[in-house]
Amino acid sequence: MSAFVEYIPGNSIFHRLNPITKILWTFSVMIVCFLTENPLAVLSVFIVNLVIAATGNIIRQMYPILRGLLVFCTILSLCQVFFIKEGTVVLYALPWFRLGPVTDRGIRLCVLISLRMLSTASTVPILLMTTPMSDIITAMTEKLRLPYKYSLMLTIALKFIPSFIDEMNQVMQAQMSRGYNSDTKNPFRKFLIIIPLAIPLLITSIQKSRLLAISMEVRGFGSGKRSCYKDCSMGNADYIAIIIMASFVLAGIAAALIT
Amino acid sequence: MIEIHDLTFTYSGSGSPALENINLRVAGGEFVGISGPAGAGKTTLALCINGVIPHFMDGSFHGTVIVDGYDTASAGCKELACSVGSVFQDPESQIVFSTVEEEIAFGLENLNIPRKEMVSRIDESLKMVGISHLKRCSTSHLSGGQKQRVAIASAIALKPKVLILDEPTSELDPQGSMEVFKTLENLNSNHNITVVVIEQKIQLLSEFCQRLVIMDKGKIMMDGPVKSILSNREVLNFLGIDSFPVAKLMHLIRDKGLYDGEFPVNIDEAFDIISYILKPKILH
Repeated sequence: MSAFVEYIPGNSIFHRLNPITKILWTFSVMIVCFLTENPLAVLSVFIVNLVIAATGNIIRQMYPILRGLLVFCTILSLCQVFFIKEGTVVLYALPWFRLGPVTDRGIRLCVLISLRMLSTASTVPILLMTTPMSDIITAMTEKLRLPYKYSLMLTIALKFIPSFIDEMNQVMQAQMSRGYNSDTKNPFRKFLIIIPLAIPLLITSIQKSRLLAISMEVRGFGSGKRSCYKDCSMGNADYIAIIIMASFVLAGIAAALIT
Repeated sequence: MIEIHDLTFTYSGSGSPALENINLRVAGGEFVGISGPAGAGKTTLALCINGVIPHFMDGSFHGTVIVDGYDTASAGCKELACSVGSVFQDPESQIVFSTVEEEIAFGLENLNIPRKEMVSRIDESLKMVGISHLKRCSTSHLSGGQKQRVAIASAIALKPKVLILDEPTSELDPQGSMEVFKTLENLNSNHNITVVVIEQKIQLLSEFCQRLVIMDKGKIMMDGPVKSILSNREVLNFLGIDSFPVAKLMHLIRDKGLYDGEFPVNIDEAFDIISYILKPKILH
């Protein structure tokens, strides 16, 4: 399975930060971007994101995501720009008929919205590409006191998605080799076609989960208090990063209060 | 190490017992193979030894199973996890985590073992099964044999006295099967772990085990040293266990009355016997 956002192993500073720090980073980017009205400030946040991605050596993997976001932003801006009447008109969509006026305020606002979108939406893939899912989950259990059972459930669910898809393909091929036609454009028929594929899949996954449960029990799962192998304590780099982020957020709040 | 007395178990909803009057003693340090046709109750026996029956499965359970001094029916989950390690058939669905070290850590975390000790135990068990280089690997990219060795490592990290494996090689290629059995041999002879392995491949059992238990229809049909069991062709044929080429060849040689000594269990032994038979003829 080629997941569209997948952990890419690396050893950059950002890779080594605590997952909690990185989660805080996504939130502080969001706060700063929505506090400030200045497109240049938001642009600099976006550039910082790109620098982080570059140092983490994931810029190539980020490229399709950024391209998608850019297309989305363009469409959004085109929809938005004609509805802002304030400011001076700089150009018309159809100059011959003086139709579809575009104002300078409109352009500024659309650029701001697009940049906000790019900066905030690009943080999540950066987080997921530089942090293994299991680390995020461990950090959530250890630091945010999420019950272990829930985080384990999440881990297992994530781990079983690829094997689930393999299984699905296998069932599909088995059915197809017996002449089952699963090729249709009609969404309703497609749904009906899925049923004979879903039942064997359901049965095998129940069997698998039963075996998984047994193999967890024999290793003492649920026998009481448990310890944690992964070290998810905060390092100096984490504290420095948090201080930097906090100062930016505070600066953003101060700037917003002044204007 | 393992003592089973008059064990009878019937799954709830089933009319006939899956195990009937099983009596089995396995001493510490033994390497025992269990074989038999499908539906013989081998897996059920394994589940009785590791305590999954009667703890997590419904059915009527009679008799006693004592492993490492613990009665499995009354011992807690924790004691059982520390005295019996289990490895199952499908390497895919017994591995929970995405990296090898996390997988091995799981059992240790469950038993609330402090982190420092955990690190050393993980390294030790990886070394014991010979996969230290895979410590940080992703579990999804391993071969079948490697996956099973990860499963073995995560079982022995809890320092069990007994290791029970339910058809650990049934989904592996010959090379992976060999890997697994060599690992078991090492654990058995160098680390004094009692190994009980359920296996269809008689050839592997004959090469590695000292003792063979043959089951059929919920009963133990034969129990003894590998050589004496393999020399009894009628019983093996009756049970539908296909004996391997060496045994077949030796049976033919015996039928001709050419040889009547100890039964060979591997190619080297068979070679010695055959050259012994041929020698006088070559000399003449």
